[in-house]
Amino acid sequence: MVSRAKIKELMNESACSHNKEKKKGEGCDMPKPGMAAGGCAFDGAQISLFPYADAVHLVHGPQTCLGASWETRETLSSYSGRNHTVMGFTTGITTNDVIFGGDKRLSSSIDYIVEHYAPEAIFVYSTCVTAMVGDDIDMTCKEASEKHAIPVVPVHAPGFVGGKNLGSRLAGEAVLEHLIGTKEPEFTTPYDINLIGDYNVTGDMWEYLPLFEKIGIRVLSSLSGDGRVGNIRTAHRAKLNVIVCAKSLITLCRKMQENYAIPWVSVSFYGKRDTSFAIMEIVHALGDETLIQKAKEVIAEEEAKLEEKLLPYKKLFAGKKAVLNTGGNKAWSIASGLQDLGIEVVATSVRKSTAEDKEKAREYLGEEGILMMAPASEQSKIIDEKNADILLAGGRSLYTAIKKKISFIDVNQEKKVSYGGYNGLLNLAEDLKYAFSNPVFANVSKKAPWEAQ
Amino acid sequence: MENIPKIELSKHEHKPLQVNPIKLSQPMGAALAFMGIKNCMPLMHGSQGCASYAKVFFTRHYNEPIPLYNTSVGDITAILDGGDYSILMAIENITKKNTTLKPELIGLCTTGLTETKGDDVRNVATHIEIPYCYVNTPDYEGGMESGWALTAKALIKQHTKATTSIQANKLLLLPHVSMQPIEVEKIKEFCENFGFETYALPDLSTSLDGYLSQNQGKLGTGAIGIEEIKELGTCATVVSIGLSMQIAAKALLEKNPNISHHHFDHLMGQQMSDNFVATLMKIRQIEPKASIKRFRGRLQDAMLDTHFLIGSSHFVITGEPDMCVGMCELLCSVGGTVDAVISTVYSSVLEKISAKNVFVGDLEDAVPYFENADLVISNYHAERLLHIQERHTGLILRGFPNYEELGNQLKNDQLYEGSTYFLFEVANKLREVKHHGKHN
Repeated sequence: MVSRAKIKELMNESACSHNKEKKKGEGCDMPKPGMAAGGCAFDGAQISLFPYADAVHLVHGPQTCLGASWETRETLSSYSGRNHTVMGFTTGITTNDVIFGGDKRLSSSIDYIVEHYAPEAIFVYSTCVTAMVGDDIDMTCKEASEKHAIPVVPVHAPGFVGGKNLGSRLAGEAVLEHLIGTKEPEFTTPYDINLIGDYNVTGDMWEYLPLFEKIGIRVLSSLSGDGRVGNIRTAHRAKLNVIVCAKSLITLCRKMQENYAIPWVSVSFYGKRDTSFAIMEIVHALGDETLIQKAKEVIAEEEAKLEEKLLPYKKLFAGKKAVLNTGGNKAWSIASGLQDLGIEVVATSVRKSTAEDKEKAREYLGEEGILMMAPASEQSKIIDEKNADILLAGGRSLYTAIKKKISFIDVNQEKKVSYGGYNGLLNLAEDLKYAFSNPVFANVSKKAPWEAQ
Repeated sequence: MENIPKIELSKHEHKPLQVNPIKLSQPMGAALAFMGIKNCMPLMHGSQGCASYAKVFFTRHYNEPIPLYNTSVGDITAILDGGDYSILMAIENITKKNTTLKPELIGLCTTGLTETKGDDVRNVATHIEIPYCYVNTPDYEGGMESGWALTAKALIKQHTKATTSIQANKLLLLPHVSMQPIEVEKIKEFCENFGFETYALPDLSTSLDGYLSQNQGKLGTGAIGIEEIKELGTCATVVSIGLSMQIAAKALLEKNPNISHHHFDHLMGQQMSDNFVATLMKIRQIEPKASIKRFRGRLQDAMLDTHFLIGSSHFVITGEPDMCVGMCELLCSVGGTVDAVISTVYSSVLEKISAKNVFVGDLEDAVPYFENADLVISNYHAERLLHIQERHTGLILRGFPNYEELGNQLKNDQLYEGSTYFLFEVANKLREVKHHGKHN
């Protein structure tokens, strides 16, 4: 069951920076009717745990919850067994279950999954309807877990409790309660870390993991990009938790610090500066001199290699100006990447950013940079005033770019390549190169023969 | 094929869960229907996720900004509110935030959550000035096809004025959910060729149809508005396409007993197109235009050109019932063998399909049939499943979702013209597959 006390605790996370500006007990915002965009708590929970490829993710609810959402995220996995992340499992409850309860259906579904797919674990997600009718998911999972001798983890994040972020926190709670600390690793090293909050979308992690290997940092477990349930069970033996671009799992890290004395650092791997900075943060936190030395060498070597590859792009991009209109940490992380490529970022949107994100955006853009609070109405004017060459934004802003006859990149669209790590910068550079040279935006802005010229 | 366990066509499920589902939910069908109404604000009454999932789904399917709002029911409103508060607050908040938004209709659909808690959403209309239409669409019943059809029915029932007079050349089309925007447009044009003043409900022909314009994704841009819906009672003819749409036609007949209703399970292939043309000719007492006659000849030529390839091939089709029935009939009319039709939900129209196996299921059930097929007609999810199988089986993407192809809203499979294109597409894909040999 999910309790109000738990939700209140998660919404008032003490380690969360933007909570400091709020009155005591106020916490994160709850959705207002009509105003909530973005996914629900269930969505957030699913995003956080779905990348475990060795587990089956069973959604206990009616059709909308999974029917429209499976196989939509490019969270890549190197798992050699059957990859369950590209599959969808749902009890798809019907009217009968709403009236008589869905426990029996859930229990038979778990049996079916074990018989046909033999996963390492099963995550069972409650949803609005099954939470509302009061299915005893905890008990069903407990019995199934004993019967089949695999972890069957109930995840209580029904959509009506809040937004994506809260759901992600609730997923963290489920992992903490049911998985972490239930198994011992085969061996440990002083350089063991847990990666928290990177879901390996388009293989983001694979851009920086080879660097870890070179330096000697070992990833003991991941929550949950390219992760394995077997590994997250041993996460309590790591020396450090590394949160990647995700504020939602801070609670999990704070609790692991309290329970297992594991410290945590928060980093990002977008762009050259952030990647280098992230690596140094990690090795300093691990506190081993030879490791720090090795990290410095690897960074120097990689940066030099990258700089050489970036040279032709920098020439191409010299003097170019960009306006960035996206949300959350992308407000500064993509800005940082653009700057690494020699592009001047004249404005970025901080409409949905936290205080911390705003600070960072200011730091990256400098005093001259404009932090847009109402980008929809501001960006057009800024493009004119600053003579910007490109707009990086969501699809809705495409028309602005066409009207201003400048280049456009849809940064919110599902991307197929990674912008993470050092190499990701080259991918971003490639995309920019093509965007700058594409005449399509100017062409479609031309008037039709029947329109006044 | 002998080793595949036989699944009977039944209203009851044959297993406790769905693995790799193809079924989509009722509220999604309802929301899509509301997008096919001019200046309608589609509003989903549920937690924010219901609308968010639907929005992302349609955005990727159509590659268009999607107008869809939600009432964001939270834990407190889930218990204390009977519906009115969240819905009214949502409408107020949305219109306050964006004052340029001038909805001419609020299209409200419920979800599993708000149906479970038992909200009464009928009363909202008394509190607002904007016309309001509600439709009960729990997502633990029916599917996308029924959600769409229920919405068309609700619009007529709640807004069309009762009358006894008719306008002889006025016609209403009721297209099923699986029809593309271009298909609705083509069928409308087809009817206009017979001198009809033609309406469609819902009408996606000018919505999500791949058209560049400003202020997209804020309100529905369908070709029919609330004022026109009010006057639909004066149609002399109503044509329902797809069994699911019969409920909407019946709702219209209740508004005016003088309307004549013509039903077609689908409009694919020569036989159904002939029936449709015969009906229109009879009503208008005129001959079809030369261009229509010419396309019938092209279809016949296409049937002969493609019969050899299609006639020696095995097919599997998955999707909504009203879509499957038409494709099956067209393929069978040129000798194709349909090994299996796997439907999202039960519909009595499935009983009419002449395939070896017809049942309600998911892609887990479909995979054993994929392995013996030359060509699969299914959605985006089938692609990966076919990719990992040993035999080279072709795939033609139809139905929801199609995240792979661009411009799929401009694909036309209906009537003489669309059926011609469809046959060629199938045959060309088969030729590609068969040239590759059994293994690629």
